[in-house]
Amino acid sequence: MLERRLYRHIDWLLLLAIGALCAIGVTMIYSTTYDPTTGSAGSEVSTQLLALGLGLVALVIMLSVDYRWLADAWLTIFLGLIALLSYVLLFGVVDGGARRWIGLEVFNLQPSEFARIVVALALATLFAGRRRGPQTASGWGWTALIVGAPFLLISQQPDLGAAVTLLPVTFGILVFAGLRLRYVAVLVMLAVLTAPVAWTYALEDYQKQRISSFLDPGQDPQGAGYQQIQAKITVGSGGPLGKGFLGGTQSQYNFLPVAHNDFIFSVLAEEQGFLGVVVALGLYLFVILRGLDAARLAKDRIGTFLVVGIMSGFAFQVIYNIAMSAGLAPVKGLTLPLMSAGGTSIIASLAAFGLVLNVRMRRFTN
Amino acid sequence: MRTELETHGDDRRDNMTLPLALLRTAVVLAFAALAVGFWRLQVVQYDKYHQLAENNHQRTLGLRAPRGVVFDRDMGVLIENRNSLNISLVREQVDDLESTISLLSEVSGVPVAALQSVMDRSRRAPAYQPIVLIPDATIGQVSAVAAHALEMPELVVQQLPARHYPATEVAAHLFGYVGEVSDSQLASPEFDGVRSGTVVGKSGIESIYNQLLMGQDGARHVVVDAIGREIDTIGETAPTEGRQLQLTLDYDLQAAAEAAFKAGGFDGAAVVLDPRSGEILSLVSLPAYDPNAFAMGIDSDTWSSLIQDGRRPLNNRALQNLYPPGSIFKIAMAVAALEEGIVSADFTVRCAGGGTFYDSWRNCHSTHGTVDLREALEKSCNTYFYTLGEMMEIDQIHKWATALGLGELSGIDLPYEVQGLVPSTAWKREARGEPWYPGETISVAIGQGQVTVTPLSLAVMMATVANGGTRVTPHLLKAVNDGDGWTQAQPPGPRSQVHLSPETLSAVTDGLWNVVNRAGTGGRGRIEGRDVIGKTGTAQVISLDGRAALGESNPEYFDHGWFVFAAPAHAPEIAGVVFGEHNEHASLSATIAKHVMETYFAKQKGRPLPVLPLPATPQGVPLVSVVAGTGN
Repeated sequence: MLERRLYRHIDWLLLLAIGALCAIGVTMIYSTTYDPTTGSAGSEVSTQLLALGLGLVALVIMLSVDYRWLADAWLTIFLGLIALLSYVLLFGVVDGGARRWIGLEVFNLQPSEFARIVVALALATLFAGRRRGPQTASGWGWTALIVGAPFLLISQQPDLGAAVTLLPVTFGILVFAGLRLRYVAVLVMLAVLTAPVAWTYALEDYQKQRISSFLDPGQDPQGAGYQQIQAKITVGSGGPLGKGFLGGTQSQYNFLPVAHNDFIFSVLAEEQGFLGVVVALGLYLFVILRGLDAARLAKDRIGTFLVVGIMSGFAFQVIYNIAMSAGLAPVKGLTLPLMSAGGTSIIASLAAFGLVLNVRMRRFTN
Repeated sequence: MRTELETHGDDRRDNMTLPLALLRTAVVLAFAALAVGFWRLQVVQYDKYHQLAENNHQRTLGLRAPRGVVFDRDMGVLIENRNSLNISLVREQVDDLESTISLLSEVSGVPVAALQSVMDRSRRAPAYQPIVLIPDATIGQVSAVAAHALEMPELVVQQLPARHYPATEVAAHLFGYVGEVSDSQLASPEFDGVRSGTVVGKSGIESIYNQLLMGQDGARHVVVDAIGREIDTIGETAPTEGRQLQLTLDYDLQAAAEAAFKAGGFDGAAVVLDPRSGEILSLVSLPAYDPNAFAMGIDSDTWSSLIQDGRRPLNNRALQNLYPPGSIFKIAMAVAALEEGIVSADFTVRCAGGGTFYDSWRNCHSTHGTVDLREALEKSCNTYFYTLGEMMEIDQIHKWATALGLGELSGIDLPYEVQGLVPSTAWKREARGEPWYPGETISVAIGQGQVTVTPLSLAVMMATVANGGTRVTPHLLKAVNDGDGWTQAQPPGPRSQVHLSPETLSAVTDGLWNVVNRAGTGGRGRIEGRDVIGKTGTAQVISLDGRAALGESNPEYFDHGWFVFAAPAHAPEIAGVVFGEHNEHASLSATIAKHVMETYFAKQKGRPLPVLPLPATPQGVPLVSVVAGTGN
């Protein structure tokens, strides 16, 4: 399927940057799970390496299959996603009060991580064929269905963080599909107006707690504000040059919870300092801008929309997680794509980049 | 590229350039904002967060310094330290305080309320500092806690040095006791740099030499993880033990004196010193308490039983209580009369069982016939001293009594000494706003009226008479070892010095020798070949009339019996006082003094120390009948 001439058009620079971020991620996971008494790192490192291998396979598959072929099969794929999410709700593995995973031998599969790709694919396909853009009744209807169904299922797990990442994907595609400015304004206004309603009815207590403790972390320093305060201390104490590999006191002595996961960037900031932060930020920025290049270069609207959807979701998640890792945004269970420990997250991210590379690579094919 | 795209692209639209540019700009701006955010945290506010991170994972744990060991004059150990096991709780590791406390109470047998009150008191302590819940835990309690270590990981067993008084109750008031520094102590400059929770001296030697004894607490700087587990030690300052003290106290004399009180079956006080230097050889106050009970914090039951005890065991009778000196005061009267030239030692008075002074009849306890000063002292003749009182001004008496140390602070190195009173015209004017009436002098002349003394001040008086007029400062500190060897402590100089004429000294000494060695009241203090001089006295608790009205059976109203002594008569090296509380008979006090002196001389000669015979008579039964009256 992968013809030789296509091979030449693979974006090796983007792949290199992605590989660099993954490598930084593994290093930081090694550091945070390192146990000085045994002199070895935790099982998270090997899990992550395995996930990277699987992710590479997923990337190659997503690269090899023509994205237009996938677009043709979008409904099947979408229904598959809905089935998986429903399965999770009914039979998933419970961990930390949430039912988000399908238990597998090596790691738990988290189907919600794939929802962004599937929604991007579905919306891209939908609007590619609709010259009049999204502002029609059926346009709104389909959008609501494609986004709403997985959104509801995921938020029931509950995993509001993962559900919310569907919104930038959707919003990105809608704008590129020709959503007029006044609709954008209306959507923004709607968000502002529904915020208090959502605050009252839609948010769980722990979510409200997180937001209010973000606004004033000192009010509950041992509770919800703890992570945020510790995140700031972790990042700030890293200083310009960092404390060195394995030298982070905040992460090594577990002052920062889930350091290898949601707060991996804090660890990087602590051990590698502002210098390391700038390098990592540069790499992420490069990956996003380079990825968006594919949207510009894409041969068709499907390709453009698909890339825009994927990259919007990616950019949102990266920016939000990094802001959170420095205590600049409320704590939310969002991983940092490519770096955080988490099997599904890595596989899904690499698969998504497989699609981006796919679109770019096939810009000359018919 | 674009041309290529337009050539190849089938449905590509140009209106995507704008949103793409917007999206890119938004992303770049967001990243710029992130970079600025990290810059502010990591570069601008680095110092602040660096400090916060250090505070997070570094802890300073105090290492308690042992207090200095205290020795007696023969280098016998009086106060030392032992290791105590303490069950402590580290608050920052607590998951469920309530269940921990109830489980701890269950396995240790300590009531929940007691544990809870410790927690309440320690609320202000830092969360990482272990709070001692069960001080001085038994082995059983420690092993019970160890067996439940998994359920109560926040409990630790700490080994702390604790004060140990091997002699238990012996010399308790002299040693004093220790306790956690109080808030009011912390506020005083003497306790600068002392942390709350530190053990300091609360009374006795422990208190007055607290600065020397306290030592320097050490510290261990450790790295801890988020749940407070110690990961690593990054530095340690070893604690420095407090300075060692050598006291002038002779433990053998102390023990002998206390044993003699036990044998006599009454409480009281005794002070024995070297009249040449003022070195205290023994200082007794009974009933006593066990200072070991305070070593790791006294429990409230023991404390309240101590402070509610009607016998007041915490009270140091040797220097905190005032009593009328009774006939002991006749020594001061004799000195004053002779030195003021009022009479010579040959002056005689005829005692007809009393006499009329200022128009009222005053009793003597016997009919002594014609007596001179020596005989008057020997027989403690009231009539003789009434007569002296009639001939003297109160201020003359005041002057000489003061020179001998009465009505003055002795300046001893023990806390809470109270000052007695020898009245004077000035005092009367100031305290009462009245002139002194000469009639009042008559009572003073036999040590009654307003005269009050501490046992200690009588010991000083006896030392001053014995050494010929030097009012030595009684003291306990002999030498200090700051770790580099012993340094003799600078003995305190005399409080005052008067010249007593040889005539005075000879008359008084002769009189006091007679008290012990002839027909006098102090015969029980006699030691063959030692020329003991002494004087007995009675401190009335209530008036004879009052006592008659209340009945004589209540020991609470029994008189106190004094005996002051010195030996050998012409070159005294030991002097002192024995105060028998409610023992009714001063001769019983003389028995105690004799035993102390015998012990002293036996020790000096290297002979075996005398052993007291068991009490010959049951407690409280008089050995001899004494004519009721003042001054036997």
